[in-house]
Amino acid sequence: MGSSSKEETATDGDTSSGDTPPSNSNLFSEGERVLAYHGPRIYEAKVQKAELRKKEWKYFVHYLGWNKNWDEWVGADRLMKLTEENVMKQQALDKKQGVDKSSKSGRSSQSKPKSSADAKADKEDLKNTAPKGRKRKSDSGVEKDNSSMEKLVKIQIPSTLKKQLVDDWDFVTQQDKLVKLPRSPNVDDILTKYLEYRSKKDGIMTDSVGEILKGIRCYFDKALPVMLLYKKERQQYNEVVHHDVSPSTIYGAEHLLRLFVKFPELLAYVNIEEETLIRLQQKLMDFLKFLQKNQSTFFLSAYDGPKGVSEGKGKGKDD
Amino acid sequence: MEGGREKEEEQDGVSVHSPCKAPPSSASSLPKEQQEVELELRLLEALEIYPPVKLRGVHRHFVLYGLMEFLRKSLDRHFSPDEVLQLLDRFYNLEMLKPDDEEIDILNHEEDFCLPQSYFVKEEP
Repeated sequence: MGSSSKEETATDGDTSSGDTPPSNSNLFSEGERVLAYHGPRIYEAKVQKAELRKKEWKYFVHYLGWNKNWDEWVGADRLMKLTEENVMKQQALDKKQGVDKSSKSGRSSQSKPKSSADAKADKEDLKNTAPKGRKRKSDSGVEKDNSSMEKLVKIQIPSTLKKQLVDDWDFVTQQDKLVKLPRSPNVDDILTKYLEYRSKKDGIMTDSVGEILKGIRCYFDKALPVMLLYKKERQQYNEVVHHDVSPSTIYGAEHLLRLFVKFPELLAYVNIEEETLIRLQQKLMDFLKFLQKNQSTFFLSAYDGPKGVSEGKGKGKDD
Repeated sequence: MEGGREKEEEQDGVSVHSPCKAPPSSASSLPKEQQEVELELRLLEALEIYPPVKLRGVHRHFVLYGLMEFLRKSLDRHFSPDEVLQLLDRFYNLEMLKPDDEEIDILNHEEDFCLPQSYFVKEEP
């Protein structure tokens, strides 16, 4: 041992001699969320693949909220761990660029449908205003690349509901408590109540609201087990929710509210016209205000102590 | 001419590619046909932004909402979700569309809920 590996670099560099320096270690794992430099800015991304090429680790990343045509191979020098500190860096760069997250640069063309020739020209414009100057693979042609980081909808959660979320965090993660399930009212009930409330106010035209509420329920049912539970709630979930039961019939306002924390990210995966996004945002805000108005009836003020759900039911949990 | 059905391709103003039947013909059907064509064209424009396959996935209600809004703005009248779906039905068999479950989506990646730091910062009322 002790052979110098430098002479071997001319050949295929995959074989490490065993005494290669730590810079060849894999810093990021597949599926990991990271921050990635692209142009002058930093974007949240996800590592799809990691490969060792010529003694260097390369990562195939997908930029969250961007069309997958933007996915690319980058080196570790372009990536950072997703930490509070690095997020600050990201925000600092955003400020420097003078970009407001809700800015409309380069996207006004999106609301007008175009022939493919025009769309290509607009793509060029987008390329210039957005810092991503790479050539784009043209895909099937139907999915035009018109998604943008700036499109993340802003959902302003009212402050009393924010406090509710902090209390919720405290109950579950700090005090080992759990929401007693099933909830009444549950998510279904709340959405129905909201539709009734809006129907009284608006009269007929509640089609849009109705469709949006269906969308919320749909997101909730899918998102709950995937991203709305604290680790300590997973066991309860497995016990209470069985295959054919939808979470919206079991959980209530506490978990529904968490959905709204994640809403902007969820919507980033579907392309929606800017104007429509703004209307949608307004409707979601109205729903949140409704939750706030009914905060005392919809939300629990206290959660159950440890093992609160199955106490006395003899489930025989082995902890 | 009440004899055999006229082929759609031969009618003026109707796209050769339109698979839909012209509305029942009557003496003054031309403006109606034009309206129908306009409607279909707008829908096809809308689909550039809202691909039909997205109507099968978890985002489908928001996609449908987007279509409703697009048509409302372009044609200056209200469209119900059902109307939009019926229109789409002229061109697509939505049930046959395979939802793209493998598509990279945040909902395919399980993670524990985490409340962002900003919630813990005291704000000015």
